[in-house]
Amino acid sequence: MGDINSKGITQNTFDAIVIGSGISGGWAAKELCEKGLKTLVLERGRNVQHLVDYPTMAKDPWDFPHRNHLTLNMKEDNPIVSKCYAFREDAMQFFVKDKEHPYIQEKPFDWIRGYQVGGKSLIWARQTQRWSKYDFEGPARDGFAVDWPIRYDDIAPWYSHVEKFVGISGNKDGLDTLPDGEFLPPWEMNVVEKAVQKRIMDNYKDRNVIIGRCAHLTEAKEIHLQQERGKCQARNLCQRGCPFGGYFSSNSSTLPWAAKTGNFTVQPDSVVHSIIYDEKKNRATGVRVIDAHSKKVTEYYAKIIFVNAAALNTNLILLNSISTRFPNGLGNDNGLLGKYVAFQNYRGTLSANMDGFLDSYYYGRRPCAVMMPNFRNVHKQETDFLRGYMVFFSAYRSAGHAGATQMGEAFKEAQSEPGNWGVSMMMQGETIPKETNYVSLSKDKKDDWGMPLLTISVDYDDNDEKSLKDFLSQGAEMLDKAGCKNITTNDSKQAPGLDIHEVGGVRMGKDPKTSLLNKWNQLHACPNVFVTDGACMTSTGTQNPSITFMALTARAANHAVEEMKKGNL
Amino acid sequence: MAILLGGAIVSTDVFFSSCKSNVKEEYFAPEDISLLDEIGETIIPATASSPGAKAAKIGDFMKVYVTDCYNAADQQTFFAAVREIKNLSQKKFEKDFMKLTVPQRQEVLAELEMEKHSKVESKSKAPGAEGDAIQTGKQQEANKTSLNAVSNRYFSMLKQLTLLGYFTSEPGATKAMRYIQTPGSYKGNVPYTKGDKAWAT
Repeated sequence: MGDINSKGITQNTFDAIVIGSGISGGWAAKELCEKGLKTLVLERGRNVQHLVDYPTMAKDPWDFPHRNHLTLNMKEDNPIVSKCYAFREDAMQFFVKDKEHPYIQEKPFDWIRGYQVGGKSLIWARQTQRWSKYDFEGPARDGFAVDWPIRYDDIAPWYSHVEKFVGISGNKDGLDTLPDGEFLPPWEMNVVEKAVQKRIMDNYKDRNVIIGRCAHLTEAKEIHLQQERGKCQARNLCQRGCPFGGYFSSNSSTLPWAAKTGNFTVQPDSVVHSIIYDEKKNRATGVRVIDAHSKKVTEYYAKIIFVNAAALNTNLILLNSISTRFPNGLGNDNGLLGKYVAFQNYRGTLSANMDGFLDSYYYGRRPCAVMMPNFRNVHKQETDFLRGYMVFFSAYRSAGHAGATQMGEAFKEAQSEPGNWGVSMMMQGETIPKETNYVSLSKDKKDDWGMPLLTISVDYDDNDEKSLKDFLSQGAEMLDKAGCKNITTNDSKQAPGLDIHEVGGVRMGKDPKTSLLNKWNQLHACPNVFVTDGACMTSTGTQNPSITFMALTARAANHAVEEMKKGNL
Repeated sequence: MAILLGGAIVSTDVFFSSCKSNVKEEYFAPEDISLLDEIGETIIPATASSPGAKAAKIGDFMKVYVTDCYNAADQQTFFAAVREIKNLSQKKFEKDFMKLTVPQRQEVLAELEMEKHSKVESKSKAPGAEGDAIQTGKQQEANKTSLNAVSNRYFSMLKQLTLLGYFTSEPGATKAMRYIQTPGSYKGNVPYTKGDKAWAT
């Protein structure tokens, strides 16, 4: 199997291979290339070049045949991905077609994917928060997972490192539950949000309401101008790709930066089949790649391999990397590969009205909401459920106020004006990783590239139900105290997956008997393979995870190069 | 085939399954589009400051939207609503809707709204009006009232379609509301005076 031509071997040999060009793969590429490593990035999807390949970025609502609503055909062709809020006429081209990428749902799981250069960094929601010490200490304190092999202090300098390059907007709030970062100016709250903030914080001394933190350039610093990115223009059309590079994506930021070093090669349309393990050398030596179109198999070789295919695909690749040494998947001596997959609980939402404030409006479309860091079980276990949830809310003026008539001039006038204020609130709940939530490979079903289909068996548990219930009652109580009326609660009952924050399966830990990766994200049993995307997460936290993936990646890449210099890799 | 002006919907070769569309764009003849334009214009007329639904080509919009985005049940409701408008025009004024004066047309639609099947609560949110929610789209999803779910009643459905098609059209968004593709910045508190237009997106 593969290309045995020796010239081909030279041509196909790099210092490093990165599997995946998304939000964490792009960072691996940037760091490794900057440090002088000839790096090959393998991307299964098509090329998407910044600006050039953003066909909808300058369109107006009337440019879309269905005004950006979904058609029945879109839903029928894509029953899973069409559930995603960002899957619309303006951004559908950056999502997979469900029919082309089947998987097996042992339990309902909406697996949302974007396969192209840049991956989901084109379409992500751009919200970013640092983990706190409480999040890293959580498993050890409460015993619901193995201990993280790192603590906040290990990653703090790397958060700083990535935040400066990415460009993170936020306010320095001084909270130990959500550490401050290297911030560009924060976005403003509107008057109702400020009122709600004040009333909540007056009523609850241990709860904080702060402006959201997000990967948007509220100010373009020198480093961003060097990336040829500019100030965010408050369009909130990010999933189309941004003409200003105002938000962070691999396409606008890390990949072009890697290319500038002269050490970077990206190969789209390259489906990674497995990692090659050399039994004599006791190390991984390369990667088998299936050309997405011709299905031809080619091998590429490198000293180190970063696996950044996105959480569940990373699991798939490792499980599919079979050898005599590793009959159950690369690094899988303990049988835990694919297990302890978790996600974040998005089921609860609330909505309400707020009277008054009619002499105020906002200008522009802010790309973040207001948030409340988790306030449950922070210092000790206190409730009938483990861990907690982040709260996001925003206030807005609905379009149209109730006029006297239902048609005609007066009706049109009324509908053309903003109406009363509404408040919308949602949760982002931590879930507990369990051995019984896992992914595995189908024994007989394969996809178009001959890869085994992924079987996903992940479900909510009683802890999630209690956490949800607590959020809904606390949310209602807080909105009530804030002066809101007509408060309604909702449980979307959505399947796991639609949060698009699935993590785990290749968890970090101190002990090779109970984890797959060490404190540097190296496979315990195969240290020249690094996993720094969501698959590495030992617990889920309540934060939006991507900035943590980026920080872990930069830290691991740095370690990898240091180890190579010492001759250890 | 002018499905709206013709008689009953051809039901022999059209199977009303719950998820599928049973309508093709060619079912809408030019006369049908004109009628829909006038219905839309009655709901959202031209005023001194901005064009109405007809200038926004609301009939064409409805054709596309009903064909592609409505399931069979909602399509049935839509065509029934239009048939009912024609019936009421004849019943009240013994004339085609197209030949009625504006006040007469309003009377016909007002009566449609009063009819039992029209009594439904609907949230009138123009798309994109939720503005600042962050995971903005995710919160929109939480709040969104899909046309299919709510407006399964005659006048309410036509009204919702007209609102959607009008306020996302160029004349509607740019003349009746304020539309700025690239705002440049976000300000949390700008003074609002009664009569100021809403942001279109």
